[in-house]
Amino acid sequence: MQRSNIFDYKNYLYFKIAVVVILVAFAAYLIFEPAVGHYGGSFLGYGLGTVSALMVLWMAWYGVRKRRYRSGGSTQGWLSAHIYLGTAMTALVTLHSGFHYGINIHTLAYGLLLIVVISGFFGNYTYMIYPRQMSENMGEDSLDSLLLRIAEADKLARQIALVMPDAINNTVSRACRETSIGLGLIDQLRGYQPNCPSAQAVEDLTELGNELSPDQRKLYRELYTIMVRRLSLVKRARQDLMYRARLGIWLYLHVPFTIALLVAMTAHIIAVFVYW
Amino acid sequence: MFNCLLIKITYNSRGLPVRSYRTITAHELMLGRGAECNVHLPDPRLSMHHAVIKLNEDGLPVVQALNGELELDGALVPGAILSYGTRVMVGPYELKVEPAPPDVNLAISLVLAHRLPDDFQDLKSRTHQPLAGASKFKRRLSMFLAAAIALIFLVLPLLQNIVPQIHGAMADLPFGFDRVWSPGRISTSHMHFGSQCFNCHKQPLQKVSDKACMSCHRDTGPHITNPKLQKSAFNAAHRSVGTTRCAECHEEHKAPHALAKQDNGMCVRCHGNIKAINSKTTLSNVHDFDSDHPEFKLTFKTGPNSYDIQRIPQSDKARLVEKSGLKFPHYQHTGKVQGPNGIWDVRELACTNCHMPEGKEMRFKPLSFKNNCVSCHAKELELGSKESRLIVPHGNEQNVFNMLKLYAPKQFSSYLNNLKNNGCAYCHEIKESKQGDAIPWRVTPLQINKDWFSKAQFNHGAHRTQQCASCHKVEESESSADVAIPDRKSCLQCHSGNKTKHKRIASNCMSCHNFHHAHDADVMNPSAKLDDNDVDVLLAMPKESNQ
Repeated sequence: MQRSNIFDYKNYLYFKIAVVVILVAFAAYLIFEPAVGHYGGSFLGYGLGTVSALMVLWMAWYGVRKRRYRSGGSTQGWLSAHIYLGTAMTALVTLHSGFHYGINIHTLAYGLLLIVVISGFFGNYTYMIYPRQMSENMGEDSLDSLLLRIAEADKLARQIALVMPDAINNTVSRACRETSIGLGLIDQLRGYQPNCPSAQAVEDLTELGNELSPDQRKLYRELYTIMVRRLSLVKRARQDLMYRARLGIWLYLHVPFTIALLVAMTAHIIAVFVYW
Repeated sequence: MFNCLLIKITYNSRGLPVRSYRTITAHELMLGRGAECNVHLPDPRLSMHHAVIKLNEDGLPVVQALNGELELDGALVPGAILSYGTRVMVGPYELKVEPAPPDVNLAISLVLAHRLPDDFQDLKSRTHQPLAGASKFKRRLSMFLAAAIALIFLVLPLLQNIVPQIHGAMADLPFGFDRVWSPGRISTSHMHFGSQCFNCHKQPLQKVSDKACMSCHRDTGPHITNPKLQKSAFNAAHRSVGTTRCAECHEEHKAPHALAKQDNGMCVRCHGNIKAINSKTTLSNVHDFDSDHPEFKLTFKTGPNSYDIQRIPQSDKARLVEKSGLKFPHYQHTGKVQGPNGIWDVRELACTNCHMPEGKEMRFKPLSFKNNCVSCHAKELELGSKESRLIVPHGNEQNVFNMLKLYAPKQFSSYLNNLKNNGCAYCHEIKESKQGDAIPWRVTPLQINKDWFSKAQFNHGAHRTQQCASCHKVEESESSADVAIPDRKSCLQCHSGNKTKHKRIASNCMSCHNFHHAHDADVMNPSAKLDDNDVDVLLAMPKESNQ
């Protein structure tokens, strides 16, 4: 039997709590409406704001908690709560805002919160989807073993290309020399490289093969096979790098914007009480 | 044909150079990776036929590029003359002209200067780590965001509040650093100064005080007009309401909502249990128009002055009698009526033929004989027989009596009786004079009510889509004593209380009432002006009333 994961932890305990929290908040929102409409400074607004602020602190504490191996509770449970209650907290904060937005610290704090939550959702998604795709992509291989096989193919291809016309030799050695894997953040994230020298080489070889003498043909076919296999290896390596980059990229936003959110939230609270 | 000594230098496993010598006699020396080249250099970086060495017209040996590139002193060249000491790069190989032994024309050495890199290591160096430098990036971004937000949204606004010099400098600018703290739009009327927070938020950490409001609203009277009410009600009210700052009811930063609070909260805090505040009050507790609002009290005039009024609840039917001094049956003046010019003169009378609306709120023009009655009724009375007819104009009874005395002294008393019983009395109530009065009877002075709901505001304009008769039941009214003002029940047909109910319109306190006639204050109690000592004590109890 499969072990429970972060989503169905303890039979969806935190999911249920989150649903109850959201429902209670919505009910209160519908019942206690001030005459000027909802805003953060009404009694309900202060209540929602206080609860949300405490929840934000607790969510942020997860980042500290997860690096400590000795504190109480399973990390899996904490993460489950972090995800579900974080979502509920977003609903609370939205109600706290009363759907009033402007160019000010209050909306900034809200926007930062949304960035944190949405990046969290994306992280969640990646952890749901990518690990399986990663192992499908790599099979038994590791990235290093892929690279080793590419290098082998390089050597073989170059050997054969030595006796081939200049055009073919240049194409092959350019492919071997210039193929790079995961060049730059954008290529890592999209998982392929436009103008990839390896793909270009396969394409060029297809055309160049027509002008060969019959005794070169046999070698050419061998070379072509090697280059095509090599290209698929390169693609798999890039794909692997893409998964790993996507699994990590959301933290680029999640963590720094959490810090920013904590500062903005502090400013928001101070601002409200300096100018009552 | 020339002889060439070719020295190939390789390195053995210990890294020491090994030189192998070969002498070639040929027309030209072909350098390249092709097997047919007489100088075969198996390296993928070379062309099949990379370069050629031959003698030029002057008999000097030269090297010329064919399909490959030659490099001399770091520059690409098409060819070079080979003299002693020349170094030319042929692809990754270095070609160097050595001192020639006597029996050869040219001696060159070839050494692989740039080895082909190891494929795996090379590829590895071109394989980048996923999200390289992530933790450094995250740390930097965190620091940057935190610092920027703290500076713009916390430190600068706070400094402006703490350091007077900054505050002074910012005061002249269109808005200060603390502009970013504004929680919502400012109402239009405060917009022109509202971009500078300190105009209202005078003291940090303190709620906006009434003093800030009073710096402009100097002429605002006390919101409770009646000084006695102030005195008896307000100390208690202050306790139950908690605070009575202007901003408690006039909430800013809520545009486009109205600046004055429109909900019942503040009203009900006192009026929900008014007896607790003033045990002697005649008012009843009110929470909601729909549930426990008392029957309307109508304001009746009892005399010529504005304070001569009596308030009678609509439930008290016996006292609900208008004493206007007129005999006016409404039922004879609505719908199709007989005109003055015989039976063919049928006229259709609508309410607005007499009650003419005026102004935006649709108050009504005062009724008068000259404007309203005369259009159908004769403007004078005829007395006497046909031969000795006497025409008496509508007007002051003293004038009428004088005229009768002058023109018909003989019939004076009979005419007088005639008028008393039939002429004037046709429309007017007649009052017998007391003993010893010069005039035997008088026409009762008119007292037509203008404002039935003096404690509330009714806006006819807001109800213009309704028929008059749907609220005012006058078709059956036979007497001018009938009061046709709708009661609470008829309002409730369309209006509900605080909440919309069964498609009825939500109507709260402020829909009909003003806060204790706040804006009539200076009219009704002109001596009660606010001064600085008064503010923050519930909208200014006037000094006198405290004593």
